[in-house]
Amino acid sequence: MKLDPSILARIQFAFTVSFHIIFPTMSIGLASFLAVIEALWLKTKKPVYLEIYKFWLSIFAMGFGIGVVTGIVLSFEFGLGFARFAQLAGPAIGPLIALEVLTAFFLEAGFLGIMLFGLHRVGPKLHFFATCMVAIGTVLSASWILSANSWMQTPAGVAIHDGHLTVLSWRHVLVNPSWLYRLPHMLTAAFLTASFMVAGVGAWYLLKGKHQHFARRTLALGTALGTVLIAGQVFIGDILYGTMLKYQPSKMQAAEGFWEKQSQSPAPYYWLIVPDQNNQRNRFQLGIPYLGSIWLTHSLDGRVEGLRNTPRDLQPRMGMVFYAFRIMYGLAMVMFAVGVASLWLRFRGKLFSSRWFLWILVFMTPSGIIATLAGWYVAETGRQPWVIYGILRTVDAISPVPAQALLSTLIAFVCVYAVFITAFLVFAVRIIRRGPGEVPAHAEASGSVKNAFRPYVLDSPERLVNSNITQRS
Amino acid sequence: MDLPLVSACFLALALTLYVILDGFDLGVGILLLFQPATASRDHMVDSITPTWDGNETWIIMAGVTLLAAFPVAYSILLPAFYLPITLMLLALGFRGVSFEFRVQSKRHRRKWDVAFAVGSLVAAFMQGLVLGGLMQGVKVQNQHFAGSVLDVVHPLPIISGLALPFGYAVLGGGWLKLKSNLSLQTFANRSIRVSARFFAILFGIACIYAVKIQPSIHSKWASHGIPLACLVGLFVIASGILTTMTEKTRPAVPFLLGLFLFVVGISGIALIAFPDIVPFGVTLWEAASSSTSQTLVLVGAAFVTPMVLTYSAFAYWIFRGKTPEQGWEA
Repeated sequence: MKLDPSILARIQFAFTVSFHIIFPTMSIGLASFLAVIEALWLKTKKPVYLEIYKFWLSIFAMGFGIGVVTGIVLSFEFGLGFARFAQLAGPAIGPLIALEVLTAFFLEAGFLGIMLFGLHRVGPKLHFFATCMVAIGTVLSASWILSANSWMQTPAGVAIHDGHLTVLSWRHVLVNPSWLYRLPHMLTAAFLTASFMVAGVGAWYLLKGKHQHFARRTLALGTALGTVLIAGQVFIGDILYGTMLKYQPSKMQAAEGFWEKQSQSPAPYYWLIVPDQNNQRNRFQLGIPYLGSIWLTHSLDGRVEGLRNTPRDLQPRMGMVFYAFRIMYGLAMVMFAVGVASLWLRFRGKLFSSRWFLWILVFMTPSGIIATLAGWYVAETGRQPWVIYGILRTVDAISPVPAQALLSTLIAFVCVYAVFITAFLVFAVRIIRRGPGEVPAHAEASGSVKNAFRPYVLDSPERLVNSNITQRS
Repeated sequence: MDLPLVSACFLALALTLYVILDGFDLGVGILLLFQPATASRDHMVDSITPTWDGNETWIIMAGVTLLAAFPVAYSILLPAFYLPITLMLLALGFRGVSFEFRVQSKRHRRKWDVAFAVGSLVAAFMQGLVLGGLMQGVKVQNQHFAGSVLDVVHPLPIISGLALPFGYAVLGGGWLKLKSNLSLQTFANRSIRVSARFFAILFGIACIYAVKIQPSIHSKWASHGIPLACLVGLFVIASGILTTMTEKTRPAVPFLLGLFLFVVGISGIALIAFPDIVPFGVTLWEAASSSTSQTLVLVGAAFVTPMVLTYSAFAYWIFRGKTPEQGWEA
């Protein structure tokens, strides 16, 4: 069998980047959630918030660790698998990622140690500062990397002369046409992911009749945040849809499942298709009549553009884009329904006692992660056959590395990452089973920043508490 | 201003910081293999847990600076070292997740410790392999890599691959001597003494062999003999002190001497490679991106690096002194 290096390089990148994005999505969401929780703890001094903080911190720490080590892989993989892409695009996206490392990675890494291990050493206020720095770091990081990726989707601000790219305007590279909408879209997705995770675990405890106090707090917070965020996300998503329709029509044509230049009128909204890319038609299609016209053209009889508007050799694969979009969009609608139901139940005072609703929340725990992954599949498979839209094709971007080497490392990545995800799930389930630990009633929220600057080093909560007592007396 | 030269200095700074900072983390990881007592292994890992992430970030900084400022070099070197770099990344992955996972699992802690140690060892070996591959020279044609991914399977890269884990173990031993309690002092002293001996011998063989097989290094010795000879002298003195007097010195001395050893070694390599960024064929200036790209990176680095160094130092300072017996959270 003849192995195609360009296919293998793509599978390897797709696999490693898909695996990676799960963890930053969680840590962007959880870091901000933890910052909110710690702020609530500092303000109210209620021990339950410290309990919530410590519980979710342990899951955050594991996810963050995997995110870091799988992220390093990506910063080298541009060159390992796609050297020609790196050579052309390096001058544009390289500085963006360099600034990401400088302003975000170091910020996260520098304060992560204090966030995880430093509460007793630095006192609650400085510790809260560390949590905020980590949270800001995750958001900044998303901002830079979304800028680099959006530039690949809607490149701007550069000129190319004999295969060398020169940046003419950094403002146009950075604030390229899709970044302004894709960044809030991704951040909201990350916050939604954390909200549904937190609510799901709370719902599980309520169903099991355990850790009631903890569960009620987190469920109430998770569903409230989730409801607000999904409403915003639907709105942001709609704007982004319009932007991409303008800049990358082929992606949106593939996402809707029509082939004809103009669809029938009124257009249905397809949920199930069996596309036949070779003959440029669907073998099978199933949809809701009128809905396509209503949603996509905001009229009763509007026509939708099909994929044949794009020349055949510049078309993405319809199946991938269509189903990724359906998964993302379908989950968003379920989330919206859950949000509405939570409002209704809250109003009726039954948020914590409706078992059917709690079960739904439990099943929705990973929904944010799945929807985010699906969204990235729309973005990345929909951009094909381009790696930099309109500038460089993916097949022209690969490295001079033999297929056998690519295949063996792909197998190695799959095996190693399988170990990582298994261990993560086993330990996460164990942490959830064990439940939040009891937090001492004297909750150390009374410490001060001065602790960090004392000449001696504090090593136990007792000493911290004692030192405060001696100070006061 | 000669922007590519300034970018190259920043790249060298990032690489040096990576090598010495993650060097001692990897060294502590490698030494786990030789520590049978679980409690001592916990103590060893605790000594690096709060700050390892920041240390490792410098390798991303170096990689991405190469991409931004020298895209031609990036797109030659990564395919050239496809196998060692990929294996290094996987090994660093095992090392990184083991920090978290070993704490989660009481029953399988030993297995995660092995993953931690082997991950550190393999990562160090692969980095040595890349270094040796660079000194052996990279085949380039038309600004593209023209050799084979198996070019690193040659004596020079392999000797250099064997040397680097010992070098990191010197740093790791020095760090343990500085941070650990009384029970680990003997272990730390022995680690430093033994690793320094092997490191000096293997590194010496690699240097001699490199001069023999690579004419460019040979001619560098002819043109820059005096500074290179001074570096060799300093290297011999520092490793001599480490192998003979470690027990008698103050706790910080072996660690500082280890750092010194690495700075001397890196200076020598930089002197030999300059002005090439892909030895021996593509210079800094040939591989550089346009000045707009260089400028953005350098302006960012000029403003942000001092802040990064400040709060990284602050994090070290928060966790200063001996590592507590029961870990940081107790």
